Amino acid sequence: MRRVIPLLACIALLAAGCGKSSRASGGNIVIAVDVPVTGSPYIAQTIRQGVALAANNLNSGGGVIVGTHSYHLTVKLYDNHLSARQAVDDTRRALSAHAVAIVTDGTGIDATWQIANRDHVPICITYDGGTGLVDVEKRPNVFRIAPTNHGIAFRYAEYLIPKGLKVGLLHDDSAYGQEGAADVGRAFSENPKSVAIRMTLPAGETDLSPQILRARRSRATALLVWAQPPTIAAVLTAARSIGWNVPVYAPPTGADPFIRQQLADHPSWVDGLTFAAGRLTAEVGTGPFQAFESQYESTYGVDKVGVKTADGKAVFQPPEFAMYAYDFAHVLVAALTRAGSLDADKVLSALNEVTTQGANGDERGFNRHNHEGVVDDDVYFARFHDMTYQPVKDDPLSSTLPAIPQTP
Amino acid sequence: MRALAVGVVALAIVASAAAQQRQQVVLPGPVPYPTDTPPLVGSGVLPSVYIAPGIHFASAERVRVGIDGSGRPAAIQVIQRLTVTGKGDYQVAVGGPIDDVRRGAGSESEPGFRKDQVLWAGFSPGRKRLAANIALRIPPAAPYLPLRVDLRRNGDEVSLRVVNATVAPVMSYEGVVRASEMARLLDATRRSSLAGERVKAAFANFFGEVHVPRRPLQIEAPLRVEGELRLPGREPVTFDRVLGDGRPLSFEIHARGGGTPRVQLEASPAPVVNLLRPPGASTWAAAIRRRSIPPADLLSRLIGARFRLVRADQFQAFLADPDADGRTRATYEYETVAARTPRRVVVPVKDGSGGDALLDALLIVGSVVVVGGGLVAWAHS
Repeated sequence: MRRVIPLLACIALLAAGCGKSSRASGGNIVIAVDVPVTGSPYIAQTIRQGVALAANNLNSGGGVIVGTHSYHLTVKLYDNHLSARQAVDDTRRALSAHAVAIVTDGTGIDATWQIANRDHVPICITYDGGTGLVDVEKRPNVFRIAPTNHGIAFRYAEYLIPKGLKVGLLHDDSAYGQEGAADVGRAFSENPKSVAIRMTLPAGETDLSPQILRARRSRATALLVWAQPPTIAAVLTAARSIGWNVPVYAPPTGADPFIRQQLADHPSWVDGLTFAAGRLTAEVGTGPFQAFESQYESTYGVDKVGVKTADGKAVFQPPEFAMYAYDFAHVLVAALTRAGSLDADKVLSALNEVTTQGANGDERGFNRHNHEGVVDDDVYFARFHDMTYQPVKDDPLSSTLPAIPQTP
Repeated sequence: MRALAVGVVALAIVASAAAQQRQQVVLPGPVPYPTDTPPLVGSGVLPSVYIAPGIHFASAERVRVGIDGSGRPAAIQVIQRLTVTGKGDYQVAVGGPIDDVRRGAGSESEPGFRKDQVLWAGFSPGRKRLAANIALRIPPAAPYLPLRVDLRRNGDEVSLRVVNATVAPVMSYEGVVRASEMARLLDATRRSSLAGERVKAAFANFFGEVHVPRRPLQIEAPLRVEGELRLPGREPVTFDRVLGDGRPLSFEIHARGGGTPRVQLEASPAPVVNLLRPPGASTWAAAIRRRSIPPADLLSRLIGARFRLVRADQFQAFLADPDADGRTRATYEYETVAARTPRRVVVPVKDGSGGDALLDALLIVGSVVVVGGGLVAWAHS
C-alpha cells in the first residue's frame, strides 16, 4: 500500500501535466458598471443590462479562460448620480474591488480616467459621444463604443447642407449641449451661409417660446437642436404650438423615451423629429441584432417607452446602448483571452489588438490609433412617425437600413 | 518516281501530325505570381474581411525609399490611396511589416493600426477616398523592393549603379505549336500590354508532348527608371531607362565633383514593348506572312513576355490591395536621406498561448521528474 500511494500521486501529477481540458477555477473577474442610476435611469439600466447579459452568456458557456484558469464574470454596479465627484469615488471603489474594467455612460471621465490609468484599468464609455473624452495618446485607457459627437456633427453637415436649408443651430447650456455645439460649429464652419442662427437654450426650461420665435424670425428652415431630452421636447412644444412646422434634427438624445412621454398628448408634434444614432443593423441584415434583442428582452423584458401608436400598440425602445455595453464586455473578454493573464497592462495592450463580432453583426474592436468602437460612417438618421422611428430614405447609408420593429 | 516519293513523305507527315494529340495548355497570367511576395505580408493573421457586393477597391501606392550614402534603404514608407467605388459596407485590412500608420492627405476616413495591419472600416456612399501613410520595418520589406541601388565614391568620381532586382526563375514549356496561333496570341498580349491592362487568361494548343526545359526561364518585371544624380555645384546627371524587356537589367552612371551625392529616382513597372514588337510588320500575324518565323521561337517569346507582364503586375502592389481583383498601381521613389540611427526592430512574438505552453512544458517536466523520483522511492521502499 505504501508503494501504491506515491505511484498514484505520480500518475495524478503526470496527468495534470499532460491534460489541458480541465482548467482550474481562478475565481471571479469583476467588471464595474458606473452609471447614473438615479440621474438617468433608462441609460443606466440599459448599460448595466448589456454588460450583465454578456456576462451571463459567457458564464453559462463555462466562464472566461484566461491563461490556465477559468474565471466567472461578475458585474458590480455603481451609481454616479450624473456627478463627476461621485464617479471619482465609484472609480476608487471599483479599483479596490479589483475590477478589470469600468463601463460607464461617460460621467466624470475627465477626472476618473487618470485614477484608473494609474492601475492600467480600461474604462469604456458606452453613451457620451463627447469629443476629447477619448484620446489614444493622452488617455490610453479610455475606450468608447458609442457614436461620437464629432461623427454625428459632420454627418449632419453632409446631410443637411446639400438640402439648401438654413439651419438654426440650437444647443442647451448643459455640458452635453455645449460639447455638441462645439462639434456642430466646426462641422458647419465651412458653410456659414447654411446657418441661420446659433442660440444657447437654458437647460431645464420648459417654455422656450421666446427663443423659438427668435429662431423663426431668423428665417431658419430647419433646427438642429443639440440638447438633453427635456430641451428637445420643449423646442418641439414651442415650435408646434405656434404652428411652426419646421423640421427638427437632434443627436441621439432625440430617441430618448422622455421626449415621446412628454409629448404623448400631441403625438403629431413628434412626427418628423429626426435624430442621429449608430446603426443598429449591419449589412449582413437584421438577424444578428434581432437575435440579441430577443435575448435581451427575454432576460429583462422590453424597454417600454410608455406611449402607444395611433392604433393602440405599446411602443418599446430597441436596446441600442445595451448593445454597446454588451459588445464591450465581449471585446474585453477577447482581450483577456489574448493577454493570457489578468495583468492590467497586458489586458490594456490586448484591447488594441482584438476584434469580436458585435451584437449587430458588425466587427467590433479598437486599435493602437483609435479607441472608438463606432466609426463615423455608421451614424445614420431616423425619423419619427406615429411614435416609432425608421431610417430616412434621403441619406445613402440610412436608406440601406431596415426599420427595427418597435411594437409587439 | 520523285513525285511519288514526295507524296509519300507528305502523307507520312500528315498522318504523323494527326496522330499527335492536341492539348490546350494554359499560358502564364494573370496569376499566380512567380513569387509569394510582393505584396508584403505581416506577422499574424489578418482579421476577417467584409466587402459588400458591388464594392471595389483600387489601390495606388507611392513607395518612398530613403537610401543612405551607399544606396541601402534607410527608411521605407508607403503612401497608399484606396478608392472605394460602389455603395455599401467594407471592413478590410492591409498586412505587412508595418511600423506605424497615419492618415494620409485627402482621406475621408481614419485608418486603424494593429500589429502589422492597417484597418479600414466604414460605409461607402458610392465613392470614397482612403489614404494612409504607412511606415514599414526595413529588414523584412527591403528585400522585396524592385531596385537595388549602389552609390560609391572613388576619389573625385561618384558612381551610381541601379539594378533591376525583380528577376525570378519560372518554369517554361516547349512543344509543337502553330505559328498562326502564336502570332494571334502575341498580338493580343501586345495589345493588353500597350493598353496597360492586366494580362488576360489564355491558352495555347500544343500538338504532342509538352516539355519543360531543365533550366528555368529567368524573367523580370520591366521597370522604367527616371531620375538624377546630383553633386553640389554641378549640373545633375539625369537618366531615363527601361531595365528589362530585352534590355539590360542594370545601368551605371558617373558624376565628378566633391560633396555629398544626392540621388533621386522614380521607378514603375513598365509594359513589355520591346519583346513584343513584331519584326518588320505592324502585327505578328503580318510578320509571319512576310517571312517564316519558327513557331518555337514565337512560343518562347510569348511565354517570356507574358511572364514579364505577370511579374510587372506583381510589383504594382507592394502592399496588398484589399480587393484581389482591384486595379493596382505602384511607383517607387528612391531618394538619399541623411544618415540615421538604425531603428530598433521588434522581433515578432507569437501571441496567445505562449504562457500556457511554457506552463504546460514545466508541468510535464516537473511531472516526469516527480514520477521518476516516485518510482525510485517506490522501488526502495
